[in-house]
Amino acid sequence: MTKFLKTIMVVYAALLVQVTVLPAYIADPFKPNFLILIVACLGLRGGGWHGALSAFLLGLVADCFSGIYLGLSAFSFLAIYLVLRRVAVSLYTDSLYLMVLVVFTATLGNGLIHLLLLLIFAVADGVYATLLAGLLPQALINALAASLLFGIPSLGAREEAR
Amino acid sequence: MLELLRKYRIYIIVGVVLLAAFVFYSLNLKNKERANAFERGVMDLMAPLYGVADRMNGGVSGIWADYLDLLEVRQENKQLRESVKVLNTRLLEAGEAVAANERLKRLLELKSSLRAPAVAASVIGEDGSPWFKTIVIDRGAADGLREGLPVVASDGVVGQLVKVAAGSSRVLLLTDHASGVAGIVQRSRARGVVKGKGGGRCSLDFTLREEDVKVGDIVVTSGIGGVFPKGLPLGEVTMVKKGEYGIFQTVEVRPKVNITRLEEVLVILQEQLYD
Repeated sequence: MTKFLKTIMVVYAALLVQVTVLPAYIADPFKPNFLILIVACLGLRGGGWHGALSAFLLGLVADCFSGIYLGLSAFSFLAIYLVLRRVAVSLYTDSLYLMVLVVFTATLGNGLIHLLLLLIFAVADGVYATLLAGLLPQALINALAASLLFGIPSLGAREEAR
Repeated sequence: MLELLRKYRIYIIVGVVLLAAFVFYSLNLKNKERANAFERGVMDLMAPLYGVADRMNGGVSGIWADYLDLLEVRQENKQLRESVKVLNTRLLEAGEAVAANERLKRLLELKSSLRAPAVAASVIGEDGSPWFKTIVIDRGAADGLREGLPVVASDGVVGQLVKVAAGSSRVLLLTDHASGVAGIVQRSRARGVVKGKGGGRCSLDFTLREEDVKVGDIVVTSGIGGVFPKGLPLGEVTMVKKGEYGIFQTVEVRPKVNITRLEEVLVILQEQLYD
């Protein structure tokens, strides 16, 4: 129960920072998407049906704060989660470098899924130009955020190990 | 006798000395206003030393006074620093209040120029994704808002309400790819649809090649579609390109409203009532 509440708090804080604090200081493609970081973490270290449900719900929450297409991020987050669960069994999931790489790739995958779904189902001409232009900076900034956020606890753990 | 003198020698000497001193004193009484040779000698001898001692005393007193002053100055400096901080904060607050006042005054002017009732709202959040352009405002269904209502700022059109909750709403900005507003070039009355291009840009689509559109022209809402009142500024033409083929020209429009600096907006509650 405590873990669940902690997760809710983390998601809430991440969302709040993402939609209110960061836009005031950081220009558009360079705002990190913290929810992708959480999905990547869930995909690598979580598991089970509740992990899939969490990824889907996180996507729905993201859709409530972004764009007008409810379900778009929910689908992409779920897809990313499922792919990560598939490959996580053969990876050393505690590695910081892997986490950074996964976040980078997940951001690219998320963008491409968005692009595909928007092109097929939405009337948003020219969205590909904006999306593709912002995708790489977004992936890089998310990777940077992942290295900072996931790197600090691992440093602490290393200190403890010493 | 000699024995007696020897016995009381000390007392006798003391008495003699005292007597001599008394005599000396009494002899000097008649010349008490004048300095004698001894006095003059001592005074002359001591005068330079007096000066030195006085200067030393002055120096020590000065150092002490300076030290005390320094202590006070330090205290005063602390107080002044605190005062400067408080005053700076007040200055910033005052500057912020003046800026807010200016913005709200302009918004009020716009509100009074509208026949329709309008609700003022503050921008409380932005889109979480870099490829969608929406903002969140602090008014919702509880304030009478509903999906589709036009949102404007003092400079022009901001967008349209898309998702309305009880206490907050999402506004689809003019620059989003899913946004489209019927527009008209103010000077030549050329028609088109202002569509969002992302990244703070728009385009005037479906404007025929033969229509007269020039860089610097102002594009306003045409009122067609019934969502936006007629005549609200949409943007300024920044680029016109006419290809050799095709029936439309490419027109790029820079929105009048600076979306990144948007703080307050007006939601127009009824359409087609612009003065």
